[in-house]
Amino acid sequence: MQNKIYRFLVGSLVVICAVCVTVFGVLASYLNRENEQAISQIGNIYMASMNDRISKHFETMTDHRLEQMETLTKTIPPAYRTGKESLAEWLEYNGQARGFDSVSYCHADGSLEIIYGEEIRPYSSTTLLNAIENGQNIVAVGYNGEGEQVILACVSVSVDVPGMEDCIGLVGELPISAIADSLYLEDEDALIYSFIIRKDGSFVVRNSDAVRSNYFDRVRAIYDDLDGQTPEEYITELEAAMQSGSDYSTMIQFNGERRHMYCSSLPNSVWYLVTLMPYGALNESVETLGTRSLTAAMGSCAVILVILLFVFLRYFAMNRTQMKELEEARQMAEEASRSKSEFLSNMSHDIRTPMNAIVGMTAIATTHIDDPQQVRNCLKKITLSSKHLLGLINDVLDMSKIESGKMALNVELVSLREVMDSIVNIVQPQVRAKHQKFNISIYDISSENVHCDSVRLNQILLNLLSNAIKFTPEGGSIQVVLHEERSPKGDGYVRIRIQVQDTGIGMSEEFQAHIFESFTREDNKRVHRIEGTGLGMAITKYIVDAMDGEITLSSRLGEGSEFQVVLDLERAEERAEDMILPDWNMLVVDDDRQLCESTVDSLKSIGIRADWVLDGESAVRTVTQHHNRHADYHVILLDWKLPDMDGIQTARALRAQLGDDVPILLMSAYDWTEIEEEARAAGISGFLMKPLFRSTLYYGLLPYANEEETQSKKKEDDTPSFCNKRLLVAEDNELNWEIAYELLQEIGLKLEWAENGQICVDMLRRSEPGYYDGILMDIRMPVMNGYEATDAIRAMDRPDASLPIIAMTADAYSEDIKRCLEHGMNAHVAKPIDLKEVVRVLKRYLGD
Amino acid sequence: MTLQDCYAALGGNYADVSARLHSDRLVQKFLLKYLDDPSFQQLCTAMEEKDYELAFRAAHTIKGVCQNLSFTQLLDSSSQLSDALRHGWTPEADPLLERVKADQMTVTAAIQSFREESEG
Repeated sequence: MQNKIYRFLVGSLVVICAVCVTVFGVLASYLNRENEQAISQIGNIYMASMNDRISKHFETMTDHRLEQMETLTKTIPPAYRTGKESLAEWLEYNGQARGFDSVSYCHADGSLEIIYGEEIRPYSSTTLLNAIENGQNIVAVGYNGEGEQVILACVSVSVDVPGMEDCIGLVGELPISAIADSLYLEDEDALIYSFIIRKDGSFVVRNSDAVRSNYFDRVRAIYDDLDGQTPEEYITELEAAMQSGSDYSTMIQFNGERRHMYCSSLPNSVWYLVTLMPYGALNESVETLGTRSLTAAMGSCAVILVILLFVFLRYFAMNRTQMKELEEARQMAEEASRSKSEFLSNMSHDIRTPMNAIVGMTAIATTHIDDPQQVRNCLKKITLSSKHLLGLINDVLDMSKIESGKMALNVELVSLREVMDSIVNIVQPQVRAKHQKFNISIYDISSENVHCDSVRLNQILLNLLSNAIKFTPEGGSIQVVLHEERSPKGDGYVRIRIQVQDTGIGMSEEFQAHIFESFTREDNKRVHRIEGTGLGMAITKYIVDAMDGEITLSSRLGEGSEFQVVLDLERAEERAEDMILPDWNMLVVDDDRQLCESTVDSLKSIGIRADWVLDGESAVRTVTQHHNRHADYHVILLDWKLPDMDGIQTARALRAQLGDDVPILLMSAYDWTEIEEEARAAGISGFLMKPLFRSTLYYGLLPYANEEETQSKKKEDDTPSFCNKRLLVAEDNELNWEIAYELLQEIGLKLEWAENGQICVDMLRRSEPGYYDGILMDIRMPVMNGYEATDAIRAMDRPDASLPIIAMTADAYSEDIKRCLEHGMNAHVAKPIDLKEVVRVLKRYLGD
Repeated sequence: MTLQDCYAALGGNYADVSARLHSDRLVQKFLLKYLDDPSFQQLCTAMEEKDYELAFRAAHTIKGVCQNLSFTQLLDSSSQLSDALRHGWTPEADPLLERVKADQMTVTAAIQSFREESEG
């Protein structure tokens, strides 16, 4: 395509150049020809007038001479008319007076009789005789006695003198110079020169260059061909023109020089005047003009061409850029469409696999319907596959929400500890299954409670962690680190930096550039068997962006990856309760120095002094020293995974030193159920789940502050009591109501049933203020739905109009939750009614 | 026929429901009560009368009950039906209604045979 355009552009440029050059060339040559024609016309006119002038001059001169001759005979006084002698005397006297070198009679037989002067001989006696006989006066050429050429002025007269009857004319002799002077024969400076020829081409008067006696011979000898005309053709044309008596004009060339020639007949004679003018003289100026106009034409042609070239190059460059951009856009679009279709095919494949499992397992279950063990097994697999499938579909739904811009954040009070704990709980089984090392550390977290969308925060962490687990081979290690920093957004905010590191397969540079784009999944053999939509990271990135955070990635192929998420979260009000423990001395044992320091700081803030050491041996040493000084630590915190001597071995050694009194707690990010027995046997008193937030430490250590309190508190935790709290349950379905009733009355709640929103509102209206402590509100109800009922209650004018209303619905879309909150409900629990979940929420709103 | 068998037969999740309701007594009580639940009848009537708003609510109620009782299979079809009717009738609604009916049959049949066995 680009080649085609390139060819087209270059082609048209060449064509335009060629057209330009041709047009200007033709124009120039046309002008040149016009010039030449103009020159030849001007030359013609000039020469014609020149010839005319010369002819006139010649005519005047000859007329004058001929008249003189005529006058000679006409003015003869009677005294001289007496005889031949007297006449001769008169003629001689007067002839000489008028400058004639000689005068002769012309007899009827053509013979000349000299009167005075030297004898002359006419060039052609017949011509002379003919003219005189016809009564014409002419000038002719003759020769004097010395053979020199002379001019003869011949007049036809009849002399009325006795003895002169046969005299028919008089002939006067003049020097040749008499007419030569009237021609431009020898003038060096003059442009023009002329000569006189006879009809047969012989010269009458010629310049000194002409060595030949005949002009035609000269033409044949020295003239060159011009414009396809040979000299012979000139001669023919010239002769024809002389014959017909018209003027003749042409261009000739000799010695490489062009001349303009003009020929016309002379009056008072049978001669012809030929005038020549060098072409160059006239041409030079016109030629200069022509050259200049040609140069100008070529110059403007060049200017136009240069401009054209420039425009072409410019256009070409622009076109190239445009093409490039177009090409890039096309590639991007293709890339996008390819990754979407790839994604589709991957997805279809990924969906088919669990779907096949589900269908297959269902078939197996159906055939073994009587074998509960088999069926249960099948169902377990179906459940797993379904969950996997649901995960995929959730991703796709999330992505489509993101792509259509409909994902909203649901900001609420979040405990980072709860979030981290739940994450740890979720990933523990996977980590265990892959025998990976897992550690989670937090540093300097001062604000555990923040405002954030907990679901989405969970999603970020889960995506990062599950990727880390997925792409880290068995035995690899995964680490999560949480930092708190000052937030640039101000004191009301904290900056949380979450790092997720793994020693997995890492990512190629190319893939790192695309990882946050939708529908990408590194496509090579290494990851071919690991399933997923490829949407996880795009979703994560989008959520982080929506939270105004930042996600970065550093990874080396084969060495592992590190994701870092930075979020600025609004600090929540710290809970009023004082987290102060007795004034204990504690020892923290962990191989991470920074974690030790951070933990010691946290302990300090809840009133505990603490030392720390980095390994088991030092711990034993320090504890022994203190023991010997009778200043035992009150509690010892041991990390499970320690270099050389692990937590359990250390505990065993410590117990040997201390006896059973001092509580030793094991901290770990792992699920400790498997090692619990061994640990207990080694003398571990209890466990703390990493990460160690301040509240983790507080609640973890609290039981040891007061042993008796612990016992009762534990009971309380399991079944919190809501004695004498009264809830109104708005629920249209009796069965649902009964289930809610059965479950909730177990924990000491008093419950009353409203069958729809309207009844609920009425019941509340009829009750004493403060009679109900809260409302559980179904959303979809006949007569009046949950939203309307909440609006009505909130609009009531009574002191308990703002009582807690907790939505209870079968839809768990976040839009629904948002809508509940918008209508003034306090919280939302999803069906099915889960006692733990309901208790958690109720605790928050029905607390004393 | 045990409760587990009954749940297996009606396409539910016994482990889930017993974890939430804590005792087999309650599970059995609500299971039997389900036979009296009017929602399904409401759904059928509403669909016949083309009152899709009511039908949506009925489907939604069935969904809620199924969540509470962990009737996985019926939950699936009824929640799909309620989604299909959320904004009025859609072409998927009719085939989904058939699925709901079939699943409802499975559930009621299983519960009835369970009742007969435990009473008889």
